[in-house]
Amino acid sequence: MSTALRVEGLTKRFAGVAANDDVDFDLRPGEIHCLFGENGAGKSTLSSCIFGFYRPDKGQIFVRDQPVHIASPIDAIRHGIGMVHQHFVLVPEFTVLENIIVGTQRSGWRLNAAEARQKLKAICDGYGLDIDFDAYVWELPVGRQQWVEILKALYLDAEILILDEPTAVLTPAESRILFNIMGKMCARGLSIILITHKLIEVMQSNRVTVLRKGKVVATLNTVETSPDELARLMVGRAVSFTITKPELKPGETVVAVKGLTAHGHWGEAVLKDVSFSVARHEILGIAGVAGNGQKELFEVLCGVRKAQAGSIWLMDEEIAGLTPRCLMDRGVGHIPDDRFREGLVSEFNVAENLVLGWQRSAKYRSGPLINSKAIAKLSRDMIAEYQIATRDEKVAAGKLSGGNAQKIIIAREFRHAAGLMLANQPTRGLDVGVIEYVQSQLLRKRTEGFAVILASEELSDLFGLADRIAVMFKGEIMGIVDPRNTTITEVGAMMAGRRQGTIQ
Amino acid sequence: MNQLFQEAIIVSILAATMRTMTPLLFSAMGELITQRAGIWNMGVEGTMLTGSFAAYIAATTTGSLWLAVLAAIVAGALMGAIIAFMTATLRVDHFIAGLGLNLLAGGLTLYWFQSYIQGRAQPTFSGFQDVAIPLLSDISVIGPILFSQRALTYVALLTVPLVWFLLYRSRYGLELRCLGENPKALDVKGLSVTARQFAAVMIGSALTGLGGGFLMLGFSDRFLADFTAGRGWIVIVALIAGNWKPKGVLVTVIAFAFLEALATHLQVLGAPVPHQLLLALPYLASIGLLMGVRFRSGQPTRLGIPYKRE
Amino acid sequence: MIRFEPRTERDGLWTAASFAMAVVAGLAVSALLLASTGADVGQVFAALVQGAAGSPKALATTLVKATPIILAGLATVIAFRAQLWSIGQEGQVFAGAMGGYLGGQVLAGMPPLLFFPGVLAFGMAAGMALGWLAAQLRNRFGVNEIISTVMLNYLVIYLLSWLLQGGPWGENGATISYQQSPMLPEEAFLPALFGSNRLHAGVLLPFLAAALCAVVISRTPLGYEIRGLGYNPEALRHKGVNIARTVTIVMMASGALAALAGATELFGVAHRLRADNLIGLGYAGIIVGMIGGLRPLGTVVAGLFFGGLASGAVYMRVLGDVPASLVPAIQGITLFFFLCAGVLARYRVVRVAFQ
Repeated sequence: MSTALRVEGLTKRFAGVAANDDVDFDLRPGEIHCLFGENGAGKSTLSSCIFGFYRPDKGQIFVRDQPVHIASPIDAIRHGIGMVHQHFVLVPEFTVLENIIVGTQRSGWRLNAAEARQKLKAICDGYGLDIDFDAYVWELPVGRQQWVEILKALYLDAEILILDEPTAVLTPAESRILFNIMGKMCARGLSIILITHKLIEVMQSNRVTVLRKGKVVATLNTVETSPDELARLMVGRAVSFTITKPELKPGETVVAVKGLTAHGHWGEAVLKDVSFSVARHEILGIAGVAGNGQKELFEVLCGVRKAQAGSIWLMDEEIAGLTPRCLMDRGVGHIPDDRFREGLVSEFNVAENLVLGWQRSAKYRSGPLINSKAIAKLSRDMIAEYQIATRDEKVAAGKLSGGNAQKIIIAREFRHAAGLMLANQPTRGLDVGVIEYVQSQLLRKRTEGFAVILASEELSDLFGLADRIAVMFKGEIMGIVDPRNTTITEVGAMMAGRRQGTIQ
Repeated sequence: MNQLFQEAIIVSILAATMRTMTPLLFSAMGELITQRAGIWNMGVEGTMLTGSFAAYIAATTTGSLWLAVLAAIVAGALMGAIIAFMTATLRVDHFIAGLGLNLLAGGLTLYWFQSYIQGRAQPTFSGFQDVAIPLLSDISVIGPILFSQRALTYVALLTVPLVWFLLYRSRYGLELRCLGENPKALDVKGLSVTARQFAAVMIGSALTGLGGGFLMLGFSDRFLADFTAGRGWIVIVALIAGNWKPKGVLVTVIAFAFLEALATHLQVLGAPVPHQLLLALPYLASIGLLMGVRFRSGQPTRLGIPYKRE
Repeated sequence: MIRFEPRTERDGLWTAASFAMAVVAGLAVSALLLASTGADVGQVFAALVQGAAGSPKALATTLVKATPIILAGLATVIAFRAQLWSIGQEGQVFAGAMGGYLGGQVLAGMPPLLFFPGVLAFGMAAGMALGWLAAQLRNRFGVNEIISTVMLNYLVIYLLSWLLQGGPWGENGATISYQQSPMLPEEAFLPALFGSNRLHAGVLLPFLAAALCAVVISRTPLGYEIRGLGYNPEALRHKGVNIARTVTIVMMASGALAALAGATELFGVAHRLRADNLIGLGYAGIIVGMIGGLRPLGTVVAGLFFGGLASGAVYMRVLGDVPASLVPAIQGITLFFFLCAGVLARYRVVRVAFQ
């Protein structure tokens, strides 16, 4: 057996656009093979074709050198292919065991859990894992939930494992554990396809295939390449990783938060005694693994969530408890993290989205009616200024790529805000080119005298942009550090719950 | 009023509660299966109405009540197939599909009914009689309430543990609940979400249709326009108030049935309030109940959201 | 083999073709339905067309029949565009007639220029109150508006039943109760147009209301918010729109439109308060609004079509022995095919080779 899996000439088109164009790929037994590329490069499409979620238009897949036809995930599973999705496909209301066995029993009326339990126990023992099969998935921390996902695949006897961006939700320490266990899997003969856009992870694999715009650019042995070369291959041009940030003296305090506490749906604390302040010409970075209160903090700051205690001062006014409308009128701009759910109305066209929230403003009205002409003209200007790639302003926002959708939000918020800009994960899932653009725009606002609060899961972003970094863990701020005299490791430790000052 | 008379009335009200509960319980258990599979079927009213109508036609043409029961089940399943086609296959908004089904069922049954009776006196049938269980039915008070009922009432009570077993102890139930909570978890294992939702809705709607059928066969001898009179909506209320759990739904259904039985008795006894107010009680209670329901933890997470890959 | 693929862009021609197919399929299944009961399909259809548009009198009846349906349809459009699935139109039609009747008693003796706007306003206020109630139940208590409006429908219908039988508005003097009010005085009849004895002035209202709805929905900030509420309430909430307030406005506007249907029917056609004249108008309005693609213009077209059908059914009854309930049956069938066509319009058929 020379390859565990081989793909030849795979082409997949969506509405005429090739997401995968004549892709060749091979996976050797026992190796970790990275699929590396930007968003939209075709990594997920390729893995979905291998897993039978999509049917390729052309091409052949071989498993253990035998040509196979994979029409649905059930065929993939039969050939020993398992997949761990980036967004976990779990039922939080089910127990670990139920999640693993649902849909796997082939005969009998009664649920037969005993056999499954034994088999799982054997798998877990093999990897030295300790997991309570009767715990509900909603009770488990994210790192554990990922284990359930992996166990689902192993339970179905997967020999080829596809992991889609598995570290996106993990702390640096949890990621290290995951890579350890991936090593063990390979030692037991499993072969792993690892989809990622993080260079640091690529460097831990055996081989890497770089995809760009649906095509394979190169397949390399990891030891024979370098991060610089990979980045260049991914983007198609040389990338400068350095952000030039002008030295500015912070001005007066724009926003000051003291003792902010907020409760979640079940009464649990999602923000605990959060305090910080941000001044003009300053970017405050918020670091933390997703789900540690960043989203709730932004929701409170922009008025869509009520805080149970604490105060927020904007300039000389207490603003805690004001509605989003009031805050917008006071110049607070907000770039939410879930852009298609909270930032845009997908069905509305670009022009309509560019005035979302200001549709009643006198600027955009003539009498009681909406002044479509004025809005159209403004939209064309903004499309040009913010380089939004769209045919015209009448295209529905939902038809645009994530990057262009994000540019609509940025254009709208930058146009209407004054003084404070809240940006939650503004670069998540964007191409390198767009990321650079968003970053430069945030710096522009900083130069103009805005106070900016920026949350990002990419520590490199924060270290490049922020003047100070606040690290959040379980709704609390573990400390606020100066990136110029702090290391990524220190911040990583705080993200895992260590308080500032307790790290040697 | 003497004590004996009072006791007789209470027994009569409770016995009527059991009878009134029967159609609601069948339909509610059917809708529970449907909704736990993620389909927010708003077409209960139309499904029950069709079940009633089918039972009426079968009972008056064949004279066999059990064939009428079968007709109601088949009619319900057919309605379920329409709902499943709209929601699981075409992915039309679930509310729209259900409303459409109610309007379709209302129009079609009325037209067929009027064509059926055209130019003659409306045919009638004599419905189910009580089946007294020997010995047990002789127990005072409890006997007439619990053990002297229509045969299908006993069956309806049996559906509650059966549905419970199906949902929580069978492998089909695990898949069914998975459809409501996260259908993608089945899809990634290569199992068809559409086929399973289709099956769930058809089985559920067959039960719902049976509920409509019993409403006809156990209470009436003829069909009328709007025969079900909003009971399908009460079933949906019972599901929400019962937090999508078999036991909770049973309790709510009994409460509604009690209210209806009470209203009918008050009317017959000549209570000094307009009879319209008594008739309106279940609807008033529905609104009040929903206002009070704060606890919807049992609602399937993906209820009413058409499943699409990505 | 052929396969359906989602379209990236809407294709006007294909959309039109989809809905044309829906009309044809709807008529074909209606014909089957007729045949299933042994009716002469050709004769029935001919009678329907004759009764709908065969004479000026038939056309006038069509307009009169279409009036309340279009108004209730517009009520549906406003609510459904905001994804508020109110089916309170049925009860609101009743409430409109009841409010109008009350207004007729309060305003009796006023000059017509005050009387008619006044009684219509009374009717609309009653519908708005029902809409307001459903909106509050949703906003404050999280009660699903479908269920609350259904329950309110029954409550309103029982209230009318009580008012007419046992309550203050029943017809006095009759030995048995007919569940109806006495006739309105002649000066309270909506004035007739063009000297016709059936074409009342109220037939102008749906066209005015449709124009107003079209402008509000597509050209005003409120309409922007209504559409946005239907698409993505979360984004609107983040961008400062008061969702609860918008829901209340929409439900009240919808209630007012449906109630206008009831009031117009009372003063223009029935001239006495009676449930028989009002039953089903609200449901027909829901169908018409949905078939009209939740657009005011489409609703007018669909409403005229079904108004014609209702008018034709009256004529058909005279001719043969086909039940009048053919009309709601055809409505239900057509709605079903329109829902399917709405899905079909978003897909395209592609030919694929066997793999």
